[in-house]
Amino acid sequence: MTASTPAAGIGASTRRRDGAALLTGRARYVDDYRPHGLHYAAVVRSTVAHGRIRSVDVSGAETAPGVVLVLTGEQAARHAGPIPYFISPATRGGREVDIRCLEPELVTYVGQPVAAVVARSRVEAQSAAAAVRVEYDSLPHVLDADTALLPDSPRVYPDWQDNVVFAKTYGAGDAEEALHGADVVVSGEFRIARSTTAPVEPRGYVASWDATDEALTVHGSCQNPHQLRYMLSASLGLAESAIRVVTAKIGGSFGLKMQGLPEETLVCLLSMLSRRPVKWIEDRRESLMSGAREQIHRIRVGAKADGTITGLVNRIVADAGAMTAQAGWAMCNMSASTFPSGYRVPDCRVELRLVATNKPPLSAARGFGKDAAHFVMERAVDLVARRLALDPGEVRRRNFIRAGEFPYRTATGLNIDSGDFAGLLDKAQAAIDYPAVRELQRRRREQGRPLGVGIAFELTPESSDSPGTFVSGFDTTTVRMSLTGRVTVLTGVTSPGGGNDTGIAQIVGAELGVPVEWIDVVQGDTDRCPTGFGNFSGRSMVVGGGSAALAARDVRATLRTVGARLLERDPEACEVVDGTVRSVSEPDCAVPVPEVAHAVLTRAFAAAAEVEPVLESTRAYKPGNIDHRPDELGRIQPYPTYSSCLHIAVVEVDAETGKVDVVDYAMAHDCGTMINPDLVEGQAWGAITMGIGSALTEQLVFDAGGRLVSDRFKSYLLPRAGDVPEFRLEHQVTPSPFTMHGNKGAGEAGVGGAQAAVANAVEDALAPVGACVRSLPLTPPVVLDLIEEATR
Amino acid sequence: MQPIRLTVNGDKHEVTVDPRDLLVYVIRERIGLTGTNVGCLTGDCGACTVTLDGRTAKSCSVLAVTADGSEIRTIEGLASPAGLDPVQEAFWKENGFQCGYCLPGMLLATRELLDEDPDPAEEDITRTIDGNLCRCTGYTTILRAVRTAARRAQHRDERPERP
Ligand code: FES
Ligand code: FES
Repeated sequence: MTASTPAAGIGASTRRRDGAALLTGRARYVDDYRPHGLHYAAVVRSTVAHGRIRSVDVSGAETAPGVVLVLTGEQAARHAGPIPYFISPATRGGREVDIRCLEPELVTYVGQPVAAVVARSRVEAQSAAAAVRVEYDSLPHVLDADTALLPDSPRVYPDWQDNVVFAKTYGAGDAEEALHGADVVVSGEFRIARSTTAPVEPRGYVASWDATDEALTVHGSCQNPHQLRYMLSASLGLAESAIRVVTAKIGGSFGLKMQGLPEETLVCLLSMLSRRPVKWIEDRRESLMSGAREQIHRIRVGAKADGTITGLVNRIVADAGAMTAQAGWAMCNMSASTFPSGYRVPDCRVELRLVATNKPPLSAARGFGKDAAHFVMERAVDLVARRLALDPGEVRRRNFIRAGEFPYRTATGLNIDSGDFAGLLDKAQAAIDYPAVRELQRRRREQGRPLGVGIAFELTPESSDSPGTFVSGFDTTTVRMSLTGRVTVLTGVTSPGGGNDTGIAQIVGAELGVPVEWIDVVQGDTDRCPTGFGNFSGRSMVVGGGSAALAARDVRATLRTVGARLLERDPEACEVVDGTVRSVSEPDCAVPVPEVAHAVLTRAFAAAAEVEPVLESTRAYKPGNIDHRPDELGRIQPYPTYSSCLHIAVVEVDAETGKVDVVDYAMAHDCGTMINPDLVEGQAWGAITMGIGSALTEQLVFDAGGRLVSDRFKSYLLPRAGDVPEFRLEHQVTPSPFTMHGNKGAGEAGVGGAQAAVANAVEDALAPVGACVRSLPLTPPVVLDLIEEATR
Repeated sequence: MQPIRLTVNGDKHEVTVDPRDLLVYVIRERIGLTGTNVGCLTGDCGACTVTLDGRTAKSCSVLAVTADGSEIRTIEGLASPAGLDPVQEAFWKENGFQCGYCLPGMLLATRELLDEDPDPAEEDITRTIDGNLCRCTGYTTILRAVRTAARRAQHRDERPERP
């Protein structure tokens, strides 16, 4: 039995615990750490897309003012080994190459780190870096994945036979046969351009090597402190116990700051070799190099005349850019396995090829590949509706997995735990007043003003586990109560800025029966927190919350036993509520928790006799539903739970300029039980806005030489306040049967759904001219081309 | 190198700067107030916003020497000993931030808006926030926070603000 004050328990929108620190500028991000004697690093990066390093001349840099160290790739290789992969492609039947903190030989993209400088000040480091002269023997390069697949294409890695990193086919049934028997078959080629996550705080690290103790302390903007410690230990040859990683307050992350990037090892090595604390904060140009997604899908979908989808074939070519040890390369797996989303399509085949090109690598990105699946699948459903002249909402309703069919195994092997997808459609249509908006559209069309309505469903597998990797489906938390009743929660999950520490404190407060104000949450410190895996895949509240609850229950049990003794009652007849242990039947018979804690720890042979006098517990939580035993089709089931949502976007298209305005937006969202609705809503709005950005304005553009052209916020356009409407958000709660609190993970849902809803809305707006949306982003020139192509 | 005087959040400072030094780095690294953040150095994100002689400015786009003699307020100077500014309270209440990195621009721009017009029109609110990037919130809760702060500003005369 647990209870708590309504402002703080599970389901309450408790305001952010760290609000005062953030609002007054006291919170410390990585760039705010300035250890004594701090020096600054700057990275010299490749200026060619493909080439062999002929020479590196550091003489100008070494004599520049303030410089204490210049390091080349060749020198770095003597001190640091390759960086271990977060997810190894080789163990998945793919190819990999050694990733070094500074590349000594073969550069494969413009921007690859090849040398580094440490100097007294940032400016001195940057000027010295500019003085390093690197000469290359250029090799032919390839920037486009389709071209990279041609037999005569340049090979990004010359000892590979082709540029394919990884290839796999997913699905079940006989999709070709299903298409053969269909009444209609729609097909299309859909392209998603390269975009990026672009948190406002760039990445950065501060490494301090203590030569006396031979110990390394690293502060970093990083989502995965324990993985980082392991990987530093592997690449630098240090004992893990000699390394402490602290992930500072993080200024947004969205996958970019998952561990595995060359500068992590580099900054530590620079500190060790220069014997000084070294800071490196990437600039915006460097930050914008990390790709989030870039894919081509060639899809065919068959349907019956009533709109029932019968089969799906999709061939995906995903552009990896160059190889990375970070998890980014693996996102395409989820693009493939998320098909056919929440629809009943038993005959489905998805062929995936991941292709290396001479562009910067991908970094993990919110959505983790699932976003691309939704853009394409939802476009396909709309094409079916258009071909059959059916309402796009009705076609979805006809094909959704029914509420009574869960758990439902999809053709690609995902075991969807629960949901009510038609219910989401009802809620979103009610929120936007669907008949009224269609009526508005009709009137606007009469006036010659294109207005479109786009519907998109989005399924978000969350809290993944990938066997043998650091993508872990469980996590661990310690709950510790002090003599005075103060509670410290130390957890292996980290917060990228969304505030999951507040949610975890709410869970601990509710489970332990103490006010949330008594609780401190410690995250992101490998010396203090239990071994854990950080944040990704919407896991923090599922496994961080679950493990915190288990640990809190252990502590509560001890409090109850000893409290009951102090009250001279049977423990079974007592409860811990609002910071007191009390008799259930006589609430006035109560003793404050701090007094009980004091008794446990100071009267171990009296009040706490026969009780193990420990007010601390460390527990791991493993949710259900994950199953890594391959079935007869070789499919595994890596997710415990699946959030779902339904988006409706309303857009206006200016046919003169091609500009698209999102004028209204509704999302019905189901992430199971909500621990803190305000935090959930904040995540959803942020993700939708990110999706709208990549649907309309965001694109990483490279010139013919592979140089990033959109290298600042004047050319890489994030949505601003005036670019997005105020969102209507409806909640539906179908608790997950496989997680402790019934929650499903929030934070990723929104990106892919928004991309799809906006794309569908633009096509709907242009339906009178018959345009077909095939690519993202829909920038004004693209929209004008669409109109022209359709009216030609 | 050149000596300059700055008054920051009421405290007087004399610092010697290189003519190339950006104001944002002087505030962060010389004066030691790290609440002002760096997101782009190109004047686009607003994370480096301060109030310079009463007007908000992106301190990455100001050379420190040109600020000689000026009065600066940073995010650290928004609250008073009596407590948070109503703008800060409103952002907290409305969940108008996640990672908080954009807050210098969001809070100081809102403060400036409300000082000029305690009852701003919707377009003015949007225009005020439009100069600052936030990648986390999607802006909905930020706009709500500005409106809430405006309502509080208007009612301040009639009923005392709760702490
Ligand atoms: S850092 Fe000054 S506007 Fe971005
Ligand atoms: S709260 Fe993270 S950038 Fe605004």
